[in-house]
Amino acid sequence: MNMRIPILKLHDCLLISIQWELDDQTALQFQEDLLHKIHETSARGVVIDFTSIDFIDSFIAKVLGDVISMSKLMGAKVVITGIQPAVAITLIELGIRLEEVMTALDLEKGLEKLQRELGD
Amino acid sequence: MRKKIFQYVQSHSDEILIEWIELMRTEADERAFQAMSDQMFTKTSSEFIQLVMSNFSDSEEKFQKRAVDFSEKIVRLGWPLAMITEGLRVFGQIVEQGMQRSGAIDQHSYIDFTAEINNWVFPMYKTITEAYTTSWERTVSLQKIALQELSAPLIPVFDKISVMPLVGTIDTERARQIMENLLEGVVSHRAEVVLIDITGVPVVDTMVAHHIIQAAEAVRLVGAKCTIVGIRPEIAQTIVNLGINLEDVTTTSTMKKGVEQALAATSRQIVGVQE
Amino acid sequence: MDSSVKIINEWDIVAARQLGRNVAKELGFGTVDQARITTAISELARNIYLYAGQGEITIEKVENGAKKGLTIISCDEGPGIPDLRKVMEDGFSTSGGLGAGLPGVKRLMDEFSIESTPGEGTLIKSVKWLR
Repeated sequence: MNMRIPILKLHDCLLISIQWELDDQTALQFQEDLLHKIHETSARGVVIDFTSIDFIDSFIAKVLGDVISMSKLMGAKVVITGIQPAVAITLIELGIRLEEVMTALDLEKGLEKLQRELGD
Repeated sequence: MRKKIFQYVQSHSDEILIEWIELMRTEADERAFQAMSDQMFTKTSSEFIQLVMSNFSDSEEKFQKRAVDFSEKIVRLGWPLAMITEGLRVFGQIVEQGMQRSGAIDQHSYIDFTAEINNWVFPMYKTITEAYTTSWERTVSLQKIALQELSAPLIPVFDKISVMPLVGTIDTERARQIMENLLEGVVSHRAEVVLIDITGVPVVDTMVAHHIIQAAEAVRLVGAKCTIVGIRPEIAQTIVNLGINLEDVTTTSTMKKGVEQALAATSRQIVGVQE
Repeated sequence: MDSSVKIINEWDIVAARQLGRNVAKELGFGTVDQARITTAISELARNIYLYAGQGEITIEKVENGAKKGLTIISCDEGPGIPDLRKVMEDGFSTSGGLGAGLPGVKRLMDEFSIESTPGEGTLIKSVKWLR
């Protein structure tokens, strides 16, 4: 019943658009898949888009925060994009700050930000 | 007996009114007089007495409606509720004393009279206070809505730059409203930088600062940058004295500086045009 | 109309928040409050799954005079919480998560109460009022 989240490669970046509600298993599977893909492709940047996600709880936030730190360790910068206002508010009220994460309004701006960060 | 009271009240209505106003002036709450002119006071008083008298002649429904109309009016005029309850008591007192003087009641019929007066006055108390509180509650809820509407607009000033001026005291309810407006606005205006102007916020205490920090963090999560502008000297002092940590939030003193920084952050600047 | 979801495995967490989201939507909550309610349910359901093994999440509509709202009741017969004050402190977590759990739920909702007896279980009630 697990659906895997597709990870696309664009030049030296990886693009992920999360399209449906994350359950725990899918989130953990995604963590695994992304790290493997970074290793495999030597990607330098990752953009994860959350436009279609309408809620994130503390577990998913933890998995997400972890995968961002892990990616950093592997030399890939992560930008998350498209966090909905309602999601941002609940995260803040939960006390989750996702510090040190780069953010952008949408996929396009996220990619631009990543390019700037990578110095292209 | 009811008829007797009614007849007395009817035939002495002018005297009762004058005596009532006289008594109320000495007994009632000062606020009632400050709220309006002498003339207005007399006019409203006579309306009140008429309302009380109409309770004899009008049907229940008609009286109810009159009471509601009158209550709405006095709520608007700022008459306190105590003025009404006190007014009813004084009215009863005047009628009682008047009827005693004129010999309409004696010791023998006094019990009858009190029973009748009570039957008459108590339901009226209930109707009028209910009508009064209902109009009052409605006024309060309307004001609450008005306050919410005043809350906080997000104004796009340049491409990618929006401003949110905050005015007045910020409580938890307003803070939530502000946060929602702010984030929805950032997303719909596609703002990259938001300037929150707190020039109009009179007091920045730990709670207000906490709300502002939360708002700034939420803005970062949706993918924009947030700067707090309008930090006045006394606000800077209270922030530091209270030990509030605003270090993770960009702040500047004036809107002008804020706009310059915002333009710089989006790789733009304002230049003069050569003639 | 009350409805509840038994929490036995991880998928039930998804079912519980789905139920909560539907009821919240039906009651006319805005998107932000829908997210708050869904997230609170998710936290509570996960607590049941992680600490109690099994339990139940019940969603009720409530009315108090002119106010309407939604109540989340989380009930389990797990080991209970020995030190309530401690779990309500920010940053406290026994599972290695972010420790946002219960204080987070309290912040997301308008009302929050918790009863817990070690060895018998935990009952948490929280209400969100429609604005």
